[in-house]
Amino acid sequence: MMLNIVADRPEARWLPSRHRFALARLIGYLRLRQSKPAAHDSEHLILSIDRDQTAAEMNLVALWVFVTTACYIAAALPLTLALAIVLAIPLAAIAIHLPIVIGGPLLRLFIGDGNHIKIISVTTMSLLLIASSYAATTASWARFVAWLFLAILLINGLAAATLWLLRNAVQEAEERCVR
Amino acid sequence: MAFWSAFFMVWGSGRRGVMRNLKVIKPGSLAIANLFRCYRVFWNYAWTIADNVRFKELRTIPDWEFTGREHFEEMQTREGAILLTAHMGSYDLGAHLFSETSTRRIVMVRAPEADPQTRAFEEHHGAESLRIEFNTRATELALDLLETIREGGIVAIQGDRVTGSISSLPATLFGRQTAVPAGPFALALAARVPIYPVFVVRLGRRRYRLITSRPIEITRSRNRDDDFARAVAQWMTELERVIGSCWFQWFTFEPHWPEQAA
Repeated sequence: MMLNIVADRPEARWLPSRHRFALARLIGYLRLRQSKPAAHDSEHLILSIDRDQTAAEMNLVALWVFVTTACYIAAALPLTLALAIVLAIPLAAIAIHLPIVIGGPLLRLFIGDGNHIKIISVTTMSLLLIASSYAATTASWARFVAWLFLAILLINGLAAATLWLLRNAVQEAEERCVR
Repeated sequence: MAFWSAFFMVWGSGRRGVMRNLKVIKPGSLAIANLFRCYRVFWNYAWTIADNVRFKELRTIPDWEFTGREHFEEMQTREGAILLTAHMGSYDLGAHLFSETSTRRIVMVRAPEADPQTRAFEEHHGAESLRIEFNTRATELALDLLETIREGGIVAIQGDRVTGSISSLPATLFGRQTAVPAGPFALALAARVPIYPVFVVRLGRRRYRLITSRPIEITRSRNRDDDFARAVAQWMTELERVIGSCWFQWFTFEPHWPEQAA
C-alpha cells in the first residue's frame, strides 16, 4: 500500500492538507505561498500528508480544550478559587475522556469496529459548545473563557469560508509543492 | 497521560531496570534525576507504541528526518545487507518505512512472540515487501536469512541484547562487560555483506529521525575471533554514541548489566 508522503520538500510542512482546523489550514496556506523551494542539497526529509500531522496545532487545540473544560469545572465547584482550580485539573481530564469511554461501546454496538475519531471529535466539540453557550450567559468569571471559546470558533468559521473562496488557489499551491 | 503515569508507578521491575541502566549510562547521576529520566523513557515508549499502532491500523506514518543519508542510500544499492539496530525508537516503524520506500525486500527478525494471536497480527499487518521472522528455529532461520541476503534482500536484526539461549559474543558497553548476539556477525561473515548500524529515534509528536552509520565490514583473516571482535567493537562504539545521546529512547526494561549495576 502506498503512503501519502512528500519527499525532500521542507516547505511541504505548511501544506494545508497537513492541518486539521480551518484557521491552521489558512495560516499554512499563507506560509506555503511565502516559502521558497529548498535547495537540492538540503537534508533528506519525508513528510507525511495527514490532517492530524502538525504537532503545534494539535497540542495547542488539546491545551485549549483542556484549559476551557478545567475553567468550567472550577467555576462550577462550590470551593475557593485556588482549591477549585487544583481539583478541576484531574476532573477535566476525566470529563474529557468520559464521552470517549461511554460512547466507545455504544459506537461499537451500533456501527461496529473502525476508525471513529471523527465522531468522537465532533461529539467532544459539540459538548464543549453546549457548555460554552451556557457559561457565556452566566455571571461567573468563566463567561470570559466561554466568550473566548466562541470567538475562536467564529474566527475558525471565517477562516473556513475564506478557504472555500480560495479553494482553487489552495489546491494549485498544494499541487505545485508536491509535484 | 494519567493512565501512563499509573503504569509507570505500578511497573516497579521495569522502572528499576531502566534506573539501573541509567546509572551506568550516566555515571555519578542522582537517583532522583534518574527517576525523572526513567519517566521520560516510559513516556517515549508509550508514544512509539501509539505511533506503531496508528501505522498498523490507520496507515499513517510520522515525518522522517535522516542522518547519514549517504550510508542509507548505499545500503539500498548493495546486493544484500544486514541492518543492525537496537531497542530504540520504533523498530517496526523504521522497518516499515524502509520497506515502503525501497525496492529491496526486507526480512525483520524478532524475538519469539508467545501469544499466537499477536504473532498472527504482526505477520499480517506489515508492509507488503516486509516479512517478519520470529526467532524460534535458529538453524532453519539462519539458512533462510542467508538465502534472503544472497537474493539481494536486507535482513534487519536487533543487536543490543541477548535473550534466551542464543549464541553471543563478548562486548564492552559504557566501560562494562556485556554480550551481543553472534548471529548478525556470523551471517555477515558467511554472506560477505556489510552490517549497517541503523537507529530510529523519536524526536517529537509524529517526528522521527533515522540514523545510519558507517557500515561495519567484517574482513576474513586466519583468526575468526579477532574478526568478530573488531566488528563488535565498531558496533559497540556506534551503539554507545547513540545510546549516550538518546538514552531516553533505549527501551531496555531489564538491567543490562545486572551484576555490576546492582
